Amino acid sequence: MKTLHRKLIRELYDAKGLLLLIASIIAVGVTCFVAMQSAYHNLDEAKCRYYRQCRMADFWIDLKKVPLTELESLYSIPGITEIRARIRFMANVDLEDFAEPVSGMVLSLPDRRQPVINNIVLRSGDYFTDHRQNEVIVSEKFAQAHDFGPGKTIHLVLNNRRQELFIVGTAISSEFTYLVGPGSFVPDPIHFGVFYVKHSYAEDIFDFAGAANEVAGILAPEAREGIDEILRRAERVLDPYGVFATTPLELQQSDQFLSNEIKGLGDIATVLPTIFLAVAALVLNVLITRMARRQRVVVGTLKALGYYDRHIFWHFLMYGLCVGVLGGLLGSVLGYLAATGMTSVYQWFFEFPDLRSEFFWYTHAIGMSVSIACALVGGFRGSRAMLKLQPAEAMRPEPPKRGGRVWLERLLGPMWQRLGASWRMVFRSLLRHRTRTATGIFAAMMGAGLLVSGFMMTEAQEFLVSFQFYRTARSDLEVTFASEQGIDALAEIKQLDGVDYAEPLLSVACDLVHRPYLRKVGITGLVTDARLTVPYDSDGRQIRIPESGVVLTKRLAELLHVRPGDRLTMIPVKGERRPVEILVTQIADSYMGLSAYAQIDYLSGVIGESMVMSGAQLTTVRDPTQLNALYRELRQKPNIQGVQSRRVMIDQVTETLLQNQFVFIGILVLFSGIIFFGSIVNASMVNLAERQREVGTFRALGYSEWQIGSMFLRENLLTNLTGALLGLPAGWCLTWLTAASYNNDLIRLPVVSAPWVWWTTLMLAVVFALAAHAVVQWTLSRMDFLDALKVKE
Amino acid sequence: MPDNSDEIILELTDIRRTFRMGEVSVHVLKGVSLQVRRGEFLAIVGPSGSGKTTILNLIGGLDSPTSGTIRYRDQDLTRATSNQLTRYRRDAVGFVFQFYNLVPNLTARENILVTTEISQDPRDVDEVLELVDLTDRADHFPAQLSGGEQQRISIARAVAGNPELLLCDEPTGALDFETGKKVLRVLLDLNRQLGKTVIVITHNSALAQVADRVIHLRSGEISSVDQNESPIAPEEVVW
Repeated sequence: MKTLHRKLIRELYDAKGLLLLIASIIAVGVTCFVAMQSAYHNLDEAKCRYYRQCRMADFWIDLKKVPLTELESLYSIPGITEIRARIRFMANVDLEDFAEPVSGMVLSLPDRRQPVINNIVLRSGDYFTDHRQNEVIVSEKFAQAHDFGPGKTIHLVLNNRRQELFIVGTAISSEFTYLVGPGSFVPDPIHFGVFYVKHSYAEDIFDFAGAANEVAGILAPEAREGIDEILRRAERVLDPYGVFATTPLELQQSDQFLSNEIKGLGDIATVLPTIFLAVAALVLNVLITRMARRQRVVVGTLKALGYYDRHIFWHFLMYGLCVGVLGGLLGSVLGYLAATGMTSVYQWFFEFPDLRSEFFWYTHAIGMSVSIACALVGGFRGSRAMLKLQPAEAMRPEPPKRGGRVWLERLLGPMWQRLGASWRMVFRSLLRHRTRTATGIFAAMMGAGLLVSGFMMTEAQEFLVSFQFYRTARSDLEVTFASEQGIDALAEIKQLDGVDYAEPLLSVACDLVHRPYLRKVGITGLVTDARLTVPYDSDGRQIRIPESGVVLTKRLAELLHVRPGDRLTMIPVKGERRPVEILVTQIADSYMGLSAYAQIDYLSGVIGESMVMSGAQLTTVRDPTQLNALYRELRQKPNIQGVQSRRVMIDQVTETLLQNQFVFIGILVLFSGIIFFGSIVNASMVNLAERQREVGTFRALGYSEWQIGSMFLRENLLTNLTGALLGLPAGWCLTWLTAASYNNDLIRLPVVSAPWVWWTTLMLAVVFALAAHAVVQWTLSRMDFLDALKVKE
Repeated sequence: MPDNSDEIILELTDIRRTFRMGEVSVHVLKGVSLQVRRGEFLAIVGPSGSGKTTILNLIGGLDSPTSGTIRYRDQDLTRATSNQLTRYRRDAVGFVFQFYNLVPNLTARENILVTTEISQDPRDVDEVLELVDLTDRADHFPAQLSGGEQQRISIARAVAGNPELLLCDEPTGALDFETGKKVLRVLLDLNRQLGKTVIVITHNSALAQVADRVIHLRSGEISSVDQNESPIAPEEVVW
C-alpha cells in the first residue's frame, strides 16, 4: 500500500491549487468555529471566575430608603442566605479641565475591607484607610481615561454639594463588567464612572444614617430557580419603603449584556462554521468525484491486479482526509490567533480582572474532527462511485455522456432555436452537471447570504442609532433635577445662555401590571406635542402623546401581553402608591430598553401632584465655547443632579460602532470571497478538465481563447448570480435568526435593509466571479490544445 | 522449457455473456467451452467484436458470465464472491493490457511495487525488471517511456506477483512491428522459462504462430481450434 500512498502524495501535489482552495474554505469554517468557541469559553470562564471572586449577587432591590434594622426580616424568606445593604446615588463629576458633562454612580462600601457581596477587585492603590472620611475608589477605566490615580483628588456633586474626595485606589467589580451610562449601550469610560465611598461617609453625605437604598442578596443554589417568587415576597416585605425595582441577576444590565454576548457567540459559533463546512464538503465532492472518474482506468487496473474495493475506496477517501486535516490544522492555528484577537477586543468592552486567551484542546479537537468529517463526507460520494464499477467496465474509457435535450429546450421550444450555439452549450453544460451546478449555486447562495446578513447588521446598527438618537430622542442635553420641580423651573433653564429650546420631562418609576404580568419601568411624562422625544409607531408615523393613557414600547407591550385599547394597572413606586387603571392608547417602536410615555399633566395627576417635572431636555447651540460655559453653569445649579450630553454619547456610540464595522465588513467580504472564489475556480477547473477535448476541438476550429473562455464565464456568471439572488432572502433569514438570538429587554436588533445591501452583494458576486474567471482564462491560455486532442478514447 | 502437461487448470463450460445496451440485448458469447492446460501458450484470435476481450475478462475474474461455469483448478469462479474473485486475481492472474494501464503518477519500479505489495508470493522487483530488460529505466515515469517499454513494465508488473496465469489483451496492439516482436519474446520466455500459462488475445493471426494452440473466435462462438505442432520464434513472425 506504500506505493499507493506515494501516488496519493504526487496527485495531491499536482492538484495542490484546488485542494488548497478547498482546504482554505474548510479552514475558514474551522477558524470561525475555533475562534468563536474559544472566545466563548474565554468569556464564559472569565465571567464565572470573576463572579465568584466578587461574590456577585443573585438579585438587587432598589428602594427609596429603608432602615437597616428592617432588612433582617428578609432572612425570613426561604432561599435568601445573605444580603448586603448599600447606598447608591447618581452624581455629577466636576472635572476642572474637562467641560463636557461627566457623571457617575456612587456606591457605598464597608469602611473596612470585608468579603461583601458585589465586592471590588482593587487594580491599584489600597482600600479605605482610617485617615480620612472622604476617600474614594474609582473605577479603573474612568481613572485611566482622566489620568486619575491614588493620591489625587476628585470633585463630585453629592446631594447638591460639591465634595472633594481623595482617591485611594482604582478598582473593578463584576457588577459593572459591562459599564454603560444611562441611555447608552456602549461603554464610555470618559463620561461615566463608578465611585466607591465609605458607607459611613455616604450615610453622612446623603442623610442616610442607619439606612440604605439598595439591597443585594445571594440565594441558596437550590433556591435560584424560584427567584421570581422570592423577589415578590421580598418586595412585599419591603413595600413600605418604596421598592423602585427588583432585579434578578439575569436582568441586571451588565450581566444581560455579557450573557447575551456569550449566548450569541455560542449560537453563531455553530451556524457560521456549518455554512463554510457545508460548502467545503460540496465543493470537495465535485473535485473528488472528478478525480476518481478521471482515474477510472487506474481503478479498473488496480481491481484487475487484485486490490480490494476497500483499498481503492480508502485511497480516494484519503484525498478528502488530507484536505480535511490540512484545513483543520490551518483553521486551528488561525482560530487560536483570531480568538486571541477577539478576546482582546472583548477586553475593551468588558472589564475583567483576568480575561485571557486560553487554549481549549477540546475546541481544537472538535474543529479538527468536524473538518475531517466534512472532508470525508465530501469525498465519500466520488470514492464510492468507483466501487460500483465492474473492473472490466472500469478499464474501458467512460462512455460519452448521454446527449439529448435538456428540459430547458423543451420548455423554451422555438425560443431555444434562437439561442446561439455557445449559449446552448452553456445551458446544456449547466443542466447536465446538476450536482456541480447545484453546488455552485449553493456556495454562491451562502456567500451572498453572509454578505447580506453582515451588511444588514451594519445597517441595523445605523438604523438603531438614527432611530434611537436622532428620530425618537432629539435633544442635545438632558438635565435631571435632584427632586421634582414645579414647571417654572423650565423657564429658568430656557433663559440660560446657549439653550435654544427646552421641554419638561417627568420620570415616574412604577409597576405596570396586566395580570399575571408585571414589569417595573419608568414612565416618561412629555408635553403633548413634544419635539425632543418623539415616539413612532411601527409604520413610522409619529405618535401624539395622548391626553390620558399611556403609550408603551413594543417590547414592553409584548412582555405585558397588552394591545392598544387594553387597560393595565399602574402603581407608582413613590408617593401614595395608589393603583390607577390606565388605558394603553398606542404601541411605539423602540429598540432600546423598555419605555412608556404619557402626557406630563396626566402623569403628574396620577401620582397625585399638580404638573411637576423631574428633568428637562434641551437643544443647545453648537459653539464649543458657549457650550462649555453652559455645562459649567448647569453644574453649578444646586437643584440639578445630572447633566448628560447626548451629543457626546452619540459621537461615542457612532465611533465605536464604525470602528468595529470596518473590521467586521472586511473580514466578512474576505470570508465570503473565499467561498465564492473557491467554489467557482474548483467548478471551472473540473469543467475544463472534463472538456479538454472539446476545448482542443474548438481551438482547432479557430475559436480564440477568449471565445472559449467566455463560455466558461457565462456558466460561472449564471450559476453565481442565481446563487447570489437566492442568497438575498437567505441572508435576510440569517439576519432575522441572528437578531432573534440577540434580542433582549435592553436591546432589540432591527431587521432592516437598504438598496445598497442588495446591490453591493450582487456586485461583489460578479466581482468574485470575474476574479475567479481570471484564473480560468489563464489556465485556458496555458492549455496545450494539441495535446488535449490526443487524449485517447 | 515448455511445460505442456495435460493438467487442466482452467475450464470454461457453455459460457454465455449477454450485455444489455438500452433496449437491446447483445449476445457477445453464445456458448463457449474451452480448456486450458498448465504451461500452455494459448492464443485466442478473432476479429473485433468476436468476444475475445469478454472471454479474457471472464477468465480473469473481471466479469461474470450470464450463464455457464468457469473453473480454475478447484474453484468455481462463477460462484465466487467479489472478495474471492479479488483474491483470485491477486494470486493466480497477471494482466497485460493493450494500453498498458500503468499508473501515470508512479515510476516504472513503483508500478511493479503496486503488485508485489499485495502479493502473497512476490518476485523480486529488480529481478522482474531484468527479466523485461528495463533495469536502467526503473525510475522513469510512464510518460518518459516508449510504448514498448511501457508494455514491458506492464508485463513485469503482471509477473511480479508470481501468478500462474498471464492474461494478455492485445499486448502488441498499440505497438509497432519490431517492438511488438520484442514484447512477444518476453511473453514467450516467461512461458518457456518460468512455466507461466499465457493466454494472449489478438486480432492478428500472424501472432498466433507463436502459440501452442490457437482458438478462432467468430461472432461469439469458437469457429475452430488449431494445435500448433511447430510454433515459430517471435523474431520469425511477419505481419
